[in-house]
Amino acid sequence: MKPLNYLRLWLACARYSMVRTMMFRADFIMWSLVELFWMGAGVLVIGVLYRQTDSIAGWNEYEMLLLFGTAMLLQRLLMGFFWSNLFEMSRNIRTGHFDFFLAQPGNPLFMVSTRKLDPDGLINSLLALGMVGYAAHHLGLHLTVGSVALYGLLVLCGLVVHYSVLLMVVSLSFWIIGAQNLEGSYFTLFEFSRLPREAFRGIARVFFVYALPAVVVSNVPASALLHGFKPVYALWLAAVALAWLGLAVLVFSRGLRQYASASS
Amino acid sequence: MPALAKYRHSFFVGLQSNLVYRWNFALRGGFSVFHLTVVFILWSAAYAGNTHIGGFDLAQTLTYFVILILLQFFVGAFNEDYQISEDIRNGLINQFLLKPINYFLYRLSVFSAARIVSGLLVLVPLGLALPLLWPYLAPPHEAWRLALGLPAALLSALIQFTIAYCFGLLTFWFLEIQSFILLSLAVETVLGGQMFPLDLMPPALFHLSQYLPYFYQMYFPAAILTGRVDFAGALSGLVIQCAWALILLGAAQLLWVRGLRRHTAVGG
Repeated sequence: MKPLNYLRLWLACARYSMVRTMMFRADFIMWSLVELFWMGAGVLVIGVLYRQTDSIAGWNEYEMLLLFGTAMLLQRLLMGFFWSNLFEMSRNIRTGHFDFFLAQPGNPLFMVSTRKLDPDGLINSLLALGMVGYAAHHLGLHLTVGSVALYGLLVLCGLVVHYSVLLMVVSLSFWIIGAQNLEGSYFTLFEFSRLPREAFRGIARVFFVYALPAVVVSNVPASALLHGFKPVYALWLAAVALAWLGLAVLVFSRGLRQYASASS
Repeated sequence: MPALAKYRHSFFVGLQSNLVYRWNFALRGGFSVFHLTVVFILWSAAYAGNTHIGGFDLAQTLTYFVILILLQFFVGAFNEDYQISEDIRNGLINQFLLKPINYFLYRLSVFSAARIVSGLLVLVPLGLALPLLWPYLAPPHEAWRLALGLPAALLSALIQFTIAYCFGLLTFWFLEIQSFILLSLAVETVLGGQMFPLDLMPPALFHLSQYLPYFYQMYFPAAILTGRVDFAGALSGLVIQCAWALILLGAAQLLWVRGLRRHTAVGG
């Protein structure tokens, strides 16, 4: 299939998702509220902590808010574009409904990853972006088109990392059919992305900052807005995104070979 | 059959069926150790340059979060609301209407069994992490804290289960209750003191929170066990906690009676 056809397919799926959401408007409002409340809870933690102290690992309250907003932006973008698709993947592998994706005339990974959009996640990603803008305004940052574009690119790299980690975790279902709640490990890992890099010491620094991509995904884009473009950090994040995507695709492809269907 | 024997059997069946999911609980327990790592890193950074925050030192605050994890696995409601909701949606609840068994007590006995399994399983990852955690822990030594903390934890279990039960019963009115549950979970997580000790909130808000049921879900037993509340505060808190347990039991009964009036059992 040509790239243009994939784009058409994605647009058709997006349109279907929007129509479906509008059919269940109350559900859409409730889910948007759920995500908003969880985001609000995170902001509340920052508010409570900074009532007691002026700085956490050298980050002031609005810098921390900007970091948290970036972490939320990444997570909400993942929720909006990919979460439902990948969440259902492990269930489909268990039930054998995964056959449906293999029978389609397109790349299985594309088909599996893009069938649905969740507009509530996308709405909340706008709110997260608003949080970043609010924090930037309070910090008196002079944002240029270039700095915003760079931030966007780094967020995109971060989104690739989020997607890759989730894909890899969910692909384990090809081997561990009975395992449930594997996707919980995604949330556990990216809880670390709300913390500033400087807060990590010793073995935790080696593990969470360098070995796993949990901290770099949010800290690099946030630092680019706060302290300007640093090529080393940008290259670091781009390399991490590429490496994790490659690894995730490899695990998915190997898993696909393992898949034995479950039809009756 | 003596009245309590059937619930004892439900309890043992609950134990067996929850042991089937031991790896899920163990996995969840493992994740909670990672969550604890986030908490340790964040609060250690917040305490840098401060010996006390809100009148408590770092070890006292970290002890609070460790006790919270234990409480979550020993007394917290996990997916009881979903199970009840599924019983109603699939019509499985019909069998309980025809038998001489109280559905609330049946579910409570299964919940108790599940919490014993999950509570014991979380001790494994926490036990493995204990050598690393130990230098950061500062449990209080007063015996009365255990004497009042344990009943507070049991009442907390009853409150959490009853809230989950009430949410499950909402299925009599709404087909899909997942969003209600997650919305409520966000409120419970914040106002139950799972994200930060509630005593760090502005005094007016903290005072107000003491009159809400969420306060008694997690924060209150954890505060007694970790020295964040004094003897008089613990006693008056227990009275309010009992009152909330009774109010919620009343609400659960009301929802059950009203819900059954709407319920239509089909098939046989």
